[in-house]
Amino acid sequence: MDISKAPNPRKLQLCRIYFLTGFAFLPFVWAVNVCWFFEEAFRKPPYTEQTQIKRYVIYSAIGTFIWTIALITWVILFQANRAAWGATADYISFIIPLGVP
Amino acid sequence: MAQQMKTAAIWLLLWLQSTAGVLGERTREKMYEPILGASCFRRLNGTHQTGCSSTFSGSVGVLHLINTDADLEFLLNSPPSPPYAPLIPPHLFTRTNLLRLKNAGPKTISVVLLINRSKRMTQFSHELNCPNQYSGLKLNNSTETVTCDASNVANTWNRWGTGLLHEDFPFPIYYIADPEEIDKLEECFNKFNNFDYESHSLRSLCAVEIKSFMSAAVNSEVCMRRTNFINNLGGSKYCDPLEGRNVYATLYPRTPTESFDVDATEKFIIVSCRLDTTSMFDGLGLGAMDSLQSLAILTQVAHMLHKLLPSANSQPDPKRNVLFLAFNGESYDYIGSQRLVYDMETLAFPSRSTRTTPISFENIEFMLDIGTLDDIGNIKLHTLTSTPPAQQLLQKLNQYAKSSRYGFNVNIESNVGYNIPPTSAQSFLRRDQKFPALILNAAPNNRYYHSIYDDIDNVDYVYANTSQDYTKLADVNDAKNISWSSLQMKVRNVSSIVAMALYETLTGKQYQGNQVANPLLADEFFYCFLMSSDCPLFKASSYPNSPAGVPLPPMRYISVLGGSQESSGWTYRLFGYLLSHQEPSVPKENCTQLPLFYFASLNGTGECRCTTQNYTHALSPAFLIEDYDWRSGQYSTWTESTWSQFSARIFLRPSHVHEVTILSIGIVVFIISFCLIYIISSRWEVLFEDLPASNAALPMPTAC
Repeated sequence: MDISKAPNPRKLQLCRIYFLTGFAFLPFVWAVNVCWFFEEAFRKPPYTEQTQIKRYVIYSAIGTFIWTIALITWVILFQANRAAWGATADYISFIIPLGVP
Repeated sequence: MAQQMKTAAIWLLLWLQSTAGVLGERTREKMYEPILGASCFRRLNGTHQTGCSSTFSGSVGVLHLINTDADLEFLLNSPPSPPYAPLIPPHLFTRTNLLRLKNAGPKTISVVLLINRSKRMTQFSHELNCPNQYSGLKLNNSTETVTCDASNVANTWNRWGTGLLHEDFPFPIYYIADPEEIDKLEECFNKFNNFDYESHSLRSLCAVEIKSFMSAAVNSEVCMRRTNFINNLGGSKYCDPLEGRNVYATLYPRTPTESFDVDATEKFIIVSCRLDTTSMFDGLGLGAMDSLQSLAILTQVAHMLHKLLPSANSQPDPKRNVLFLAFNGESYDYIGSQRLVYDMETLAFPSRSTRTTPISFENIEFMLDIGTLDDIGNIKLHTLTSTPPAQQLLQKLNQYAKSSRYGFNVNIESNVGYNIPPTSAQSFLRRDQKFPALILNAAPNNRYYHSIYDDIDNVDYVYANTSQDYTKLADVNDAKNISWSSLQMKVRNVSSIVAMALYETLTGKQYQGNQVANPLLADEFFYCFLMSSDCPLFKASSYPNSPAGVPLPPMRYISVLGGSQESSGWTYRLFGYLLSHQEPSVPKENCTQLPLFYFASLNGTGECRCTTQNYTHALSPAFLIEDYDWRSGQYSTWTESTWSQFSARIFLRPSHVHEVTILSIGIVVFIISFCLIYIISSRWEVLFEDLPASNAALPMPTAC
């Protein structure tokens, strides 16, 4: 869908839907929202809905950032401690590597 | 004319091609030369992993022949182009050397090859000084057995043991037995590696690649948990418990009943031994001295007693029977006997499908366990405490052993106390120290215990191949053309002594006959188990015209579920054949349901016989008990890792400089090609002047 062709209220509606969907533990939707509406929020000449779109984009960006930090922390923590956590780590794994603790 | 020339040219080409021969082999395959051998693999117990594994994609090392300790020093101290793959002869395959290679790390030593050049070898045992050190009879919650003191090596049961079987190696170890393969390796080493060591890092070297990647890691608890894990999306199996079958048979058939209560009037004398052996390498290890001798003696004792005492009704006590047991997996913390004790405690032995009453400990009169008999001139009867039945049996044994009438010239001494050999009886004594276990064991004298070299040469066996009847007992003075000092005669003597002593115990009368065990039976037995499964004795104990065994000795390692289980199968049929009564009145058609079995028998004519043998499951109770504490040391916890393949091949490994050059050239060509394309596409008008623009042919889009 070419966002530039949609009317402004439609843009705002889409941006809000994406922002709200992100709360269902879907940080990637927030990331998409930021990329998709960044131009509309910050580059386009001002229009009425822009302030709201801007707000959603900023909130989505913050959400994405927090999620990224959290995920990276978890991945590092898990990979570093998988062997030490023993059974617990196995129970939360889907694929256990072969031949290593 | 031109057309004709063309046709001729094509024909010529085709003809040339057909004479030259088409080689469809891939270049990649031409680079490698496969090497045949046997690999070391990973086993795990409740606390550790042992054995070897390669890296996932295969371990590569530069070949280096080790002839002296100095060669090893060179590799460890100043390797010019690591990682290396030392080719080690058995006499240098010592604990010290192997641990030094291990400590050097996989960056220096990535593969170890053991080559079969055994001239200078004087000993080779990878078992611990105290086999089954962490199981068997233990006292006061100790983790180690009380029957062997590992700190006093000279007095242990295997003083030549290096314990390498219980070490974990970060590199694969491959054993190459075939002299041709060893020559191939040596030739490659001499041609490419064995000169000018300083320039090793600058030239191509002959290297070996071993693939033996193991899936399991850490210990049995971890790998069993991962294997049984419900989330296991890959469905991968990490390890399998060591699992096999014990074989048992009774001297007299037991009466079938529908009752599942123990019959206290029934009495059993257990005569037992070990069925399995082990070694460091997959599919190898005959265990000729460490366990096959005792199995031969057990078989001969059973056969002789069966011949002497054909019917229970002629005995003073017809409710007295002899139970012959061959335990599997005893090399790995007494798997078979631990399971039997567990089954007897839960009244699950024999299984209900046999329709006989369960046998419990109260039915056991005593147990005579046949351990290793390395030196039959020095046999001891081990007991925990001195009891009258043990004294009596010893006296009976010695009466025949020393008798001038038979001329066995064997002296059996008594040994009372905790200094008990590592045999199956320990599992029974562990449950109850008052259990009447007597163990026949010679002073340890086997320098190749649990190794690939415990073979025909270690026991000095020569096949007599007489083609005479081995199912009849022989006269004591008739050696059947077999040397008096041979292995066959040793087995004949010991088994006759044991059988005579048991005869006296059962009948209450002294044995007066001149008939002793037949040395030819031992001859045939060893031929089958040491040389070829395609042998007269195995043929006689199978169904007529059943497919012949492979011309290789049966594998005697316990293995896992779905493993070969050859030795238990053959022992089962052997017990069936040698301990059964002929049923001449039953025709072949009706001889299909156990206990009736149709055997090819001695001359292949076929006969129906009433058998008494059966299997019991040899899987450690640790795998049956829910939430078993793997670290408790109560039961055997050995598992074997799974693997996808074993392979070894040699090739020329380019030098590091060579590899870097090739990669750099590739990168440069890649960058140049980019620049070239950019230049061409930006200056296309200059290059392709006459051509119209690519979009010129297309009509202009109509304006919307």
